[in-house]
Amino acid sequence: MKLNRSIFWILPLLVLALPLVLNQYLQYVVNLILVYILVAVGFNLVVGNLGQLAFSNVAFFGIGAYASGILTTQLGMPWWLTVIPAGLCGALAGCAASIPALRGVRLFYLAIMTLAFGELMRWSYIRTPDLTGGSMGLTVPEPEVFGWMLTTEYHKFYVFLFIVVVVVIATSRLLESRIGRAFLAIKNDENAAAAMGIPTGQYFVLAFALSGFIVGIGGSMYAALVGHLSPEDFDLIQVILHFAIIMVGGLGSLIGSVLGSILITATPEVIRHFEWLVGSEEWIFGGAIIVVILFLPRGLSSLLAKVNPIFKDRYYRD
Amino acid sequence: MIEQIQSVLTNWDAMLPVLPQLVVSGIAIGMLYALIALSMTILYRATTVVNFGHGDLVMLGAYTLFILLPMVTFNITLESSALSSLVSFVPPYLVALILSLCVLFAMGYIIHRVFIWPILKGPHLSLALMAIAIGYAVRGVIRKEYGKEILQMPRPFPEQEFEVFNWGGIGTYMTLDEIIFCTVVIVMLLISYIVFYKTRFGQIVQAMFQTQRGASLVGINVMHHNNLIWGVGCSLGALGGVMIGLTLVLDPDVGTWTLLRGFAAMTLGGFGSLYGAVIGGLIIGILEKVLGVFVSTAFIEITCYLVIVLVLLIRPRGLFGQHATLRI
Repeated sequence: MKLNRSIFWILPLLVLALPLVLNQYLQYVVNLILVYILVAVGFNLVVGNLGQLAFSNVAFFGIGAYASGILTTQLGMPWWLTVIPAGLCGALAGCAASIPALRGVRLFYLAIMTLAFGELMRWSYIRTPDLTGGSMGLTVPEPEVFGWMLTTEYHKFYVFLFIVVVVVIATSRLLESRIGRAFLAIKNDENAAAAMGIPTGQYFVLAFALSGFIVGIGGSMYAALVGHLSPEDFDLIQVILHFAIIMVGGLGSLIGSVLGSILITATPEVIRHFEWLVGSEEWIFGGAIIVVILFLPRGLSSLLAKVNPIFKDRYYRD
Repeated sequence: MIEQIQSVLTNWDAMLPVLPQLVVSGIAIGMLYALIALSMTILYRATTVVNFGHGDLVMLGAYTLFILLPMVTFNITLESSALSSLVSFVPPYLVALILSLCVLFAMGYIIHRVFIWPILKGPHLSLALMAIAIGYAVRGVIRKEYGKEILQMPRPFPEQEFEVFNWGGIGTYMTLDEIIFCTVVIVMLLISYIVFYKTRFGQIVQAMFQTQRGASLVGINVMHHNNLIWGVGCSLGALGGVMIGLTLVLDPDVGTWTLLRGFAAMTLGGFGSLYGAVIGGLIIGILEKVLGVFVSTAFIEITCYLVIVLVLLIRPRGLFGQHATLRI
């Protein structure tokens, strides 16, 4: 059978039937994969598409999660009303994180600065116990959508899948548009892009804010999924997890983000089954990133694209 | 915030005599940061790669010493006096220290040759990610083997305190550790100054810092010298790691802590400047202690982050660095 692009519509429909065959725990893992797909898509915008070395993603993730958690616990809002505000908080943080980039801070300077930004955010979760519960963590009530309580993982799955599909389609359309091409031009040569009349500063803010928005939504989903937020969830281990996802999947590729989150999130569950591998996630992820950079610089999505050209991203990516 | 400032002002007279002690212990901890920043600067100067995994290699240095120590310790049972314990313990400690520095030299050499060199011409993104991934893998291996219990680094010399000077009846103390560490760091700084500015090797490294391609055009074996520099940087970092292991506990996660403080020192001093790294480390050490006591203990953890953010926002090239930003 010859594959065509309709597979991108059939696959999500097939996924709809997943709860029929999975138990509660496996369903939880699938939901976690959905959360990480959003995180990876947002992260890839800045790292893969704009080509900037920024570590602030975990800060957006934490801000989104805590915004959602604080709004539901302190103000008693239902969860579905907090998704967009969480995204907006992430976007605000994104604007803040793009200020150094506007000042001309690039490369590893930007990396170090955003690393410090993420650690400062983690410190502030610990130091504001009235809002965030401090180092004890924040317990989030069960999520509610239009008056229905999402009591089981199956319920959460359908809501999450809806959000993920909407965001992925929107991002795909965005990357095929003028904005996506501008990101690519900035990635390839910033001076040349500016000379072509692209307002690089505006696109920097836009990319960081969009990334923050998407990752913030991912954070609010994480809060709803896990039910308990603690500052340790948002430390540097999380940063490396995000990097592993987008590197293994493929920098700047939407399909890569999806593929990477499935692989990296499922790996610890596979490891759990082997006695001698317990506790080996770190060196396996580190080794996986090393192997991918050395031998497959465009990630697994480039392999898929070689198998069948329909898996190529429709926007040009060098 | 305002109340804190007021309380500082009212307590000023009571706190002022503590200041020399804070500065002295700040200098002592700042020397450690300076050594880490110095080793990272050496790597950066030679290869223009910022090693994001350096913290974990520093941690590996401390663990290597910890692993090697039981292998080289020979039991001499003299009478149980302080002197005999010193005699039976210091030489094996030195042997283990030198061995672990050699091991880390080899590690740095191999890491650069196998992982960094093939992608050195590639984008900065993959270089940074490669360094992070190496550090992460190292940390994973160490945590899998030794991460289950809290390990204490064996001490080569007893804990002692000396009064350095006395001001208004309140003495200023330094521990034996701090004195030895400061001496070692100053010696290392002098050695690296001589090596980088007075020898042929240093000239080669400076040429490579300006342009690697030009250096290879005039007949310098760039790969070989890069390998060597990575080895030197890693073994200097391992020396810092041993000191950190003696000051704190052995912990696989100490790498991140180290890395961020090293970065703060480098950023403040200016990237690529040897004495800038040392002065930056000292300033951060003193700031941590002084702000921690005079303003709030919360500042101890975040001083280095605040320094990074503020310096890069206000003066991205730091105190002594050059060209940090891109102007469009």
